Amino acid sequence: MPNILDILLSPFMIRAIIAVVLIAFVASTAGSFTVYRGLTFLVAGVAHAALAGAALAILLDMYGIIPGFPEVLGAAIFAVITALVAGYVGRKGESEKMEVAIGVSFALTMSIAILLISMIKEYAVRAWGLIIGDILLLTEKDLLLLTVTTLVVIFTTLLFYKEFVFVSFDMEGATAYGVHAELYHYVMLLLIALSVVVVLKGVGAILVYAMIVAPAAAANQFSKSTTSVMIWSFIIALFGGIIGLIVAALYVNVAPSAIAGLIVTASYFIALIVSRK
Amino acid sequence: MDNGYAVEVENLTVKYGEEIALEDVSFKLEHPSFLTIIGPNGSGKTTLLKSILGLIKPEKGSIKVFGINVLENATKARHMIGYVPQRERISTNVPIRVSDIVLMGRLARYGPLTVPSKHDMKKVKEALELVGMIDFWDKKFSNLSGGQQQRVLIARALAVEPKMLLLDEPFSAVDIPTQREILNILFNLRMRENITVVLVTHDVNPVIECSDKIMILNKKLIAYGKPNDVIKDEVLLKAYGAAVKIIAHEGICYVLSGDTHA
Repeated sequence: MPNILDILLSPFMIRAIIAVVLIAFVASTAGSFTVYRGLTFLVAGVAHAALAGAALAILLDMYGIIPGFPEVLGAAIFAVITALVAGYVGRKGESEKMEVAIGVSFALTMSIAILLISMIKEYAVRAWGLIIGDILLLTEKDLLLLTVTTLVVIFTTLLFYKEFVFVSFDMEGATAYGVHAELYHYVMLLLIALSVVVVLKGVGAILVYAMIVAPAAAANQFSKSTTSVMIWSFIIALFGGIIGLIVAALYVNVAPSAIAGLIVTASYFIALIVSRK
Repeated sequence: MDNGYAVEVENLTVKYGEEIALEDVSFKLEHPSFLTIIGPNGSGKTTLLKSILGLIKPEKGSIKVFGINVLENATKARHMIGYVPQRERISTNVPIRVSDIVLMGRLARYGPLTVPSKHDMKKVKEALELVGMIDFWDKKFSNLSGGQQQRVLIARALAVEPKMLLLDEPFSAVDIPTQREILNILFNLRMRENITVVLVTHDVNPVIECSDKIMILNKKLIAYGKPNDVIKDEVLLKAYGAAVKIIAHEGICYVLSGDTHA
């Protein structure tokens, strides 16, 4: 067996560790507001929309319509459109209405994704790579994008923290007390959408849901304040990610994001059971 | 400008698409007073509250709050008002402490990135004392009972030092003793703190004795005036479309069958 320390200090592993820390920040900021607003389904919807966007970007590149069209841009455009449509439907604060809109968008973007992927057969592996994701294959460019987005998400959340909490708690009341609730509503959804797009590359369309939703959902089970949810969801996401990487370093064939996904979802169920007592 | 009226509404018509929610409503409410708004479901009670807050743009008509035109200057008008929304509309997914909720309304007015001052904290304390919830300062909102949550929301409204409170269904899903307690708090605010109280409710009976004015709404203004002038067979028939029994006790009229949810 190779020396774990050597593996953990290799460049691809260092990039993965940095990515895990950044993802943990996203999980604690964008993730906690996703849970407060009862919009966990938005993360799944946006992730699959992003997939369709990435497939479209690959298609445009492949057929030479827009050569070099970046996948991540295609993904971001589709993700943002989905978030804005859902946001428009639920602009008065009705999460139930948004769920329906997200569900329909989910079906639509998945249809588009499958259609596009079937048209780009030779390159479909690029699109499928986004479904599974691989934190060990992140390039420096991916990492830079993740860093910038994470900083934007953290900065915006800290700046509008109190407004985000108020709007999540009581949108109508927020407006009555002079908060531009609708504006913050859209800003929150945009942050969630952008977070999903950048985390997608690292953990894949399926597990992005686990990484963004589960840590905050677990922390929300036992926390008394929003600050506590932020701190604990960061810890849970970081713990899951690091353990995933260590396991992957020990056993080469194990996908680190899957281990991370298992740990953070398990933490939710444990928190659920413990807090019921 | 301020002319002794808390609210002046003239020819107010509100539509949701093609559907009329309020039609040609006009009234004036003196300050301070206690107004109870009743009417069947979908009669425009909540719409009226939201119009006063400037949350809804009316089809036509004008609304003034302490002499301030709400349509022209909603922000300034809202500064006079403490709003208590329906408890059902509030998320219990967000873990917040009672004191943070009461502070929320005050801080919202300062804009992003502000920290509470000593004065803000003093006002939060006073508001929680007024509603008898000071001992719950550090408790998590979602762990409180319905009546306690309602009192915290009233404290949030009081912390902004309003001249008027607007309450949407403050008695929904609370038991009768709690209803009494909340009503006592509101009545004291009206009598001792000179705050105008406007509340929307299904069940008028517990509120009759406290109310200076009663309004019966069914898209149109069916009746508006002192309780005994308003609580009459023919008025209630017009509002609810069904005969409603009334009994008189110690000079106060009571509705026997209550709201039929017509």
